Amino acid sequence: MSQPFARMTGLFKTYDMGAAKIRALNGVDLDIEAGSLSVIMGPSGSGKSTLLHLLGGLDRPSNGQIEVGAQALDKMDENALALYRRKTVGFIFQSFNLLPSMTAVDNVALPMRFARIPRRQRYEQALKLLERVGLADRAYHRPTQLSGGQQQRVAVARSLANDPKLILADEPTGNLDLSSGASIMRLLADLHRSGRTVVVVTHDARMTHFATQTVHLIDGQVVTEKEYEAALEMLIAEEEEL
Amino acid sequence: MASFELIATIFENLGRRKARVALTAMGVVIGTAAVVVLVSLGIGLQRSATAELGSIGSLTQIQVYPGYGESGPGMVMRAAPGGGGGGGATDQKLLTSEALQELSALPGVVAVIPQEYSQAGGMISFEGLEGYSSIIGIGTNDLGDMGLTAETGTLELRHSTAVIGHRVPENFFDPRQRFEQERPEPPDLMGKQLVLTLEKWEGDGSQSGPTRKVIQLRVIGIIAEARAEADYSIYVPLDDITAINEWVLGRRISRAKEGYSSVLVQVEDVSQALEVADLITELGYQAYTPQSFIQSANRIFLILQAVFGGIGAISLLVAAIGIANTMTMAILERTREIGLLKAIGATNQDVLSIFLGEAAGIGFIGGIGGVLIGWIGGQVINVLAMAFLVGQATEGGPPPSIAIHTPLWLSLFALVFATLIGLLSGLYPALRAATLVPVTALKYE
Repeated sequence: MSQPFARMTGLFKTYDMGAAKIRALNGVDLDIEAGSLSVIMGPSGSGKSTLLHLLGGLDRPSNGQIEVGAQALDKMDENALALYRRKTVGFIFQSFNLLPSMTAVDNVALPMRFARIPRRQRYEQALKLLERVGLADRAYHRPTQLSGGQQQRVAVARSLANDPKLILADEPTGNLDLSSGASIMRLLADLHRSGRTVVVVTHDARMTHFATQTVHLIDGQVVTEKEYEAALEMLIAEEEEL
Repeated sequence: MASFELIATIFENLGRRKARVALTAMGVVIGTAAVVVLVSLGIGLQRSATAELGSIGSLTQIQVYPGYGESGPGMVMRAAPGGGGGGGATDQKLLTSEALQELSALPGVVAVIPQEYSQAGGMISFEGLEGYSSIIGIGTNDLGDMGLTAETGTLELRHSTAVIGHRVPENFFDPRQRFEQERPEPPDLMGKQLVLTLEKWEGDGSQSGPTRKVIQLRVIGIIAEARAEADYSIYVPLDDITAINEWVLGRRISRAKEGYSSVLVQVEDVSQALEVADLITELGYQAYTPQSFIQSANRIFLILQAVFGGIGAISLLVAAIGIANTMTMAILERTREIGLLKAIGATNQDVLSIFLGEAAGIGFIGGIGGVLIGWIGGQVINVLAMAFLVGQATEGGPPPSIAIHTPLWLSLFALVFATLIGLLSGLYPALRAATLVPVTALKYE
């Protein structure tokens, strides 16, 4: 078997919440194949967002290794992680995280500014990306003048700015109505088809239709689909008892 | 980011929060304006003061007086050596003929001119007008040696002649004139005969009146305006003054033993004056140059400027706290933005530069406003002060000088200083912003 695109081994992440220690990840081993579309599912608090953040270099594991390509994220310094985020990763967030004072095209061009790409080239590329997500006519609108679905499409365009190999989406449809959510899912599937590795954290079961791999997380651990469903049933039963 | 991109980003970001940036910068504006106005005032005062001091005498002249050593200057100058209990007589350095040779031998000295004042009380009269000017006996035949130039006539003194200062004629008045009458035009004294009436009181002053002596002096030259003591003095040959003073004292004066009361040492170049003055002081005499006056005056003005600048700096300090506060608040509000910038690939240094730059930008904007307002304020004060001074100025006195002077270096310094203040006050907030953990920043509500 060839080397996977990303490999996580014995991954632990604990947060200190005052006196209490919260174990967000409790020994995760996971491979992500190059060009795959992985969907990570799990109830809230299962550690799926934490997993995505570690994979994106937004945070560091308490223990364990993450390798993406030949890079060991757990051993990188701040600068190297910033460069990794800039070049290799494109993020899509649940709440879009567009800068409200900037137009759509400004937002899309922003990551290229940190990559020291000349202004002209930045804006040409940003306009192309907006066209690709079907928002060429909204390039000079501010986020407040766009619908939620349009804002998320701007965010998808932004994630592609530096042509990353890895797209990480954290609940990308969580703030959207059904049809807008569906269009974002189709966009993510397109990105996957164009050869990018896509990892999506979601509650939305529709996403699994596009997935090449579905990962289930319960209490910071990867479980099989059967264990996952059993655990969910138990959770529901517990809630009914209360 | 390239520096141009960085500057563009910084001003874009500042432009997003115009009202708050303007309010924060206002503190810097006031502080900078205060620094500019107050330091300008200090500089202006210094300039007008040194302009006046500069006219005390030529900058190449050193006024030398006898040294009194440890016994201090309380001694009577004219006491004959050995006679009349001067305890520290041995420490005295009198300006004897020998001393004059010692002074001439100093490097850079081009002339050593003894000066002696008339010790007799006296009045000068001319065609019914009376005048009072100091009469100085000068040990040179040519006043040109003192760096003076003639307005009319000659500066070469001969027996029973006088060369008078530019403003001496203005000091003549009519004793019969009543208060409300207009003063007559100053008389033209060139080539005219002045009558000098000298008075002395004999012994214990028990007589009915003073003894008088009348001397005729012909004015052979008028000195061009020197803006110095010379303008108000009447110069006569040294021998004539010696004769007058011997008459007052009732005995002969020995220059070899008693020396002169003062000597004017002329140096070749302005740059040598202070050095030669120091050498003369080392020899035991007292030496004064206009430069040493200017130097100590400059020291005072430097302190004044520092105090003024300090007052302005306090308001800048308050402004700095304002900037630090604004930037800290901005970082709280923009925590998610910082998280996003990091998520899309901004390094800690990128974030640090942006936030430091914004703080410096507020300082810079405030600095520009402050320099402009300070400069305009200075000009307004000048106009008002001029109007006031012209009203107050004494007749015939020098015109009032400008009160506030803002040199270019001060404006530039103030601008750089304001920017630096901004930068410094942004340091802590920017460091905090730069070191935020991206995921924590992104989750911040």
